Amino acid sequence: MSVYKHTYRAYGGRITPLWTRVLVLARYAFAEAWSSKITVALFTLSLLPTVVFIVIIYVANNPIARALIMRGSSREFAIDAHYFFLILQTQSWIALAITAWVAPRLISYDLSDNALPILLSRPISRFGYILGKLIALLASLSAVTWIPCLLLFAYQAYSSPGPWISDNLRIAAGLLVGAVIWIAFLSILGLALSSWVRWRIVATGIIFAAIFVPAGVGGVMSAILRTRWGFLLNIPYMMSVLWRRLLGAPDFMRFGGSLPTTAIAAMLVIICMASVAMLNARIRAREVVRG
Amino acid sequence: MSDRIIFDNVSKFYGEILGVNRISLNIPPGITTLVGPNGSGKTTLMNLMTGLVQPSSGSITVLGISPGNATEFFRNVGYCTQFDSFPRGLLGWQFVLDSLLLHGMPKSEAYKLTMEALERAQLGDAAGRKIAGYSKGMRQKIRLAQAIAHHPKVLVLDEPLNGLDPVARAESLALFQELGRQGMHVIISSHILDEVDRISDRVVLITGGYLIAEGNIHEVRQEVRDKPMQVLIRCDRPEVLASKMFAVNHCVEARLHEDGKGVFLRTGDIDQFYFMLNGIAAEGLVKIDAVTPADDDANAIYQYLIGTDGGAS
Amino acid sequence: MDVVDLEGLEVRLSNRIVLKGITGALRGHAIGLLGPNGAGKSTLIHTLLGFHQASKGTARVFGFDARRDRSQIRQQIGYMPENDSFIGNMSGVRFVCYMAELAGLPREEALERSHEALFYVGLGEVRYREIRTYSLGMKQLIKLAQALAHGPRLLILDEPTNGLDPMARQRMIQVIKEIRKEGSIRLLISSHLLRDIDETCDEVLILKDGRIAALRNIEEERNSHRNFIEIETIGATEHFSARVRELGCDCAAFSGGRIKLVMPDNIETTDLYAIASDQGVQIRRMSRRRDSLEDIFLRAMGSEVERMENVGL
Repeated sequence: MSVYKHTYRAYGGRITPLWTRVLVLARYAFAEAWSSKITVALFTLSLLPTVVFIVIIYVANNPIARALIMRGSSREFAIDAHYFFLILQTQSWIALAITAWVAPRLISYDLSDNALPILLSRPISRFGYILGKLIALLASLSAVTWIPCLLLFAYQAYSSPGPWISDNLRIAAGLLVGAVIWIAFLSILGLALSSWVRWRIVATGIIFAAIFVPAGVGGVMSAILRTRWGFLLNIPYMMSVLWRRLLGAPDFMRFGGSLPTTAIAAMLVIICMASVAMLNARIRAREVVRG
Repeated sequence: MSDRIIFDNVSKFYGEILGVNRISLNIPPGITTLVGPNGSGKTTLMNLMTGLVQPSSGSITVLGISPGNATEFFRNVGYCTQFDSFPRGLLGWQFVLDSLLLHGMPKSEAYKLTMEALERAQLGDAAGRKIAGYSKGMRQKIRLAQAIAHHPKVLVLDEPLNGLDPVARAESLALFQELGRQGMHVIISSHILDEVDRISDRVVLITGGYLIAEGNIHEVRQEVRDKPMQVLIRCDRPEVLASKMFAVNHCVEARLHEDGKGVFLRTGDIDQFYFMLNGIAAEGLVKIDAVTPADDDANAIYQYLIGTDGGAS
Repeated sequence: MDVVDLEGLEVRLSNRIVLKGITGALRGHAIGLLGPNGAGKSTLIHTLLGFHQASKGTARVFGFDARRDRSQIRQQIGYMPENDSFIGNMSGVRFVCYMAELAGLPREEALERSHEALFYVGLGEVRYREIRTYSLGMKQLIKLAQALAHGPRLLILDEPTNGLDPMARQRMIQVIKEIRKEGSIRLLISSHLLRDIDETCDEVLILKDGRIAALRNIEEERNSHRNFIEIETIGATEHFSARVRELGCDCAAFSGGRIKLVMPDNIETTDLYAIASDQGVQIRRMSRRRDSLEDIFLRAMGSEVERMENVGL
């Protein structure tokens, strides 16, 4: 018989284990994030400062080059914790830009056409859903934060004369921990804000605003009330303080006393919890309308 | 004053996109069903009929009033759309009241009409809640209430049964029948053709922006001459019935049903066919179990005239 | 094994009790879910899917508890929601493949079955286009395709023919019937269209106000003894009804020439035809009215049949 009839056929094959579903979600989210040209452009942009940093490290470690470039200048120049703080800070701003662009892409396409009932009818919980998106976002952000930072650290260790690395291992640890804290915080906040707003562009704007506006408000507060607690609203400032402490670089001193680490940590945790609450409200298979 | 809805060679283009092309209609009072695939121009036709868009060419008069005479026109036409958006934050009865006030009537009268409309649409105390919290069926009802509140002479309904449960459907259909009996023009667009069949007198078929057929359902069916009428007769000896039918020369085609207990008969003259059937059945040679016209309804007309090539989906 | 097993199931939504302790076992091959708006149909479906937790009682699907074994249940269910649900910027194939992979299929199999599913529901030609460019009917079908692709044991369809034009609706019903015939999938269909349920289901669950109003096997009802007849006539007068009553039948006439009658055992349709032949009346339609879905539904809702002649099939 050679007439083939194509009807529905049941599936009797292998089923993948439950935990891999989160990775499936992460994989598709990652593909979605990087399918955009702007993401690629931002990533390329992030390489530029890295190039500059490499050059500076090279010059710092190479006396001939140093003499050439800094002829006559007597400025002391050392590659130390402060320098790596600058690197981390620069890369972290880029991470913010990338989050503001990518996080809305991950969430709003699912929300705008009501795909959640179908998504959540799969054996994946809401937690797994968010986890998958987080993994994709974290992976993307890692590529611009701690990975280049650690590579620069390795380059410095390689090109510096003398036992530099054993004295400065703390810097490497500080880079890793500091970067991870920042990108985790950014990711959760970015996903939460994206789920709250309907349009992607608005979500991008809100993510930027969420970082800058409270900073401005906090600065005004501190100036008027002459207190340092206003800086608890200033996320970039808080992160800077945190990074400097992690890296072992000396603190800035402002307004008579810096912020205690516990206060900073508490603030970050509070914001994360608020983000989780936002996600919990918005990522639902069914919208409940009151009234 | 005329009692017809008249379209005279009406076309509507949205830029390059065709809405409807050269439509001429003459609709009497009663219930008329508008039938066609998605994207065929039904909504455009209804928008033209209710004065929401102006034709690119041709003219429209509804009961003698042209859409240029806006106040009188809208006073006499009620429109219940298929689209599901409402002004934010309104309660059910506020929505109906506001639409009434737009007609310029005094508030007391508007209140009275609002209550009346809400009762007719069977909304009950849901009318006191926010529309945002309504289920699909309730939204349908509130739209209906708004359309009938000002007692229009022409009622245009776009998929009015969408989302209603069977009891609510029956109630709505009964309401439409009542309105049709009172002499209103009730234009209903629906995809559920068998419901439509039960209550409507006339049908308008449209596809791809073109008018395909207009008139009484049975008349339209009979005019589709290249497809003679088909009837399914379930009986105990279908082959005997078929041969008898052939013998009296009233059958052009006979096809046995796949379960062997019925026969599809096609005939060129349906009235004679039934009389012949009376005779044969009364003789007692075959015991008739069921008689079903296989295609004397809107569904069949749709299939023959529009079929699968008219569809946008 | 029971498809769905409910025991004292109570579900609350924002402090309102929606499902008030329902108990029942659904065993049919294709189960229809009916009921007025707000009766709790969607809530029941969402509870089975694990979107809501029961406040009291249990619900089981294929023996798995809806609260504890959520993942296993979701593994075996394909869900087609009522509203539009898709990811707009993905192509049809990619979306279905994504969903299938999330349901546990390895990548190659998922891709293979996605193409198959899309062809099967009739979206073969448009499967590479982005879903946001699809028409309404196609968006319905893509929901069905993603529900089928991973080979579920239970397919839950919420208003599957919503918004479809007559041809697309026929196609959807056809696909549902084919799935049912294939045998490996059970169906749970929630709809407001009695005809759709009647054509496809063998068991119905009717909810009203959060309780079970009826749980019946309509397949059995269909095969039961039937002497209720409904005919559609042309030319029948009161004279016709009088003669029919003389024969011993109970008879009631309605508008449009429709007559419902109950024949005692000794009377055959032949006798009816004799009267028709005598009086020159055409019997255009004759059907045996078994205790149809329409009646079951209306009884469950508590309304009288005579008033509701527009309901149903």
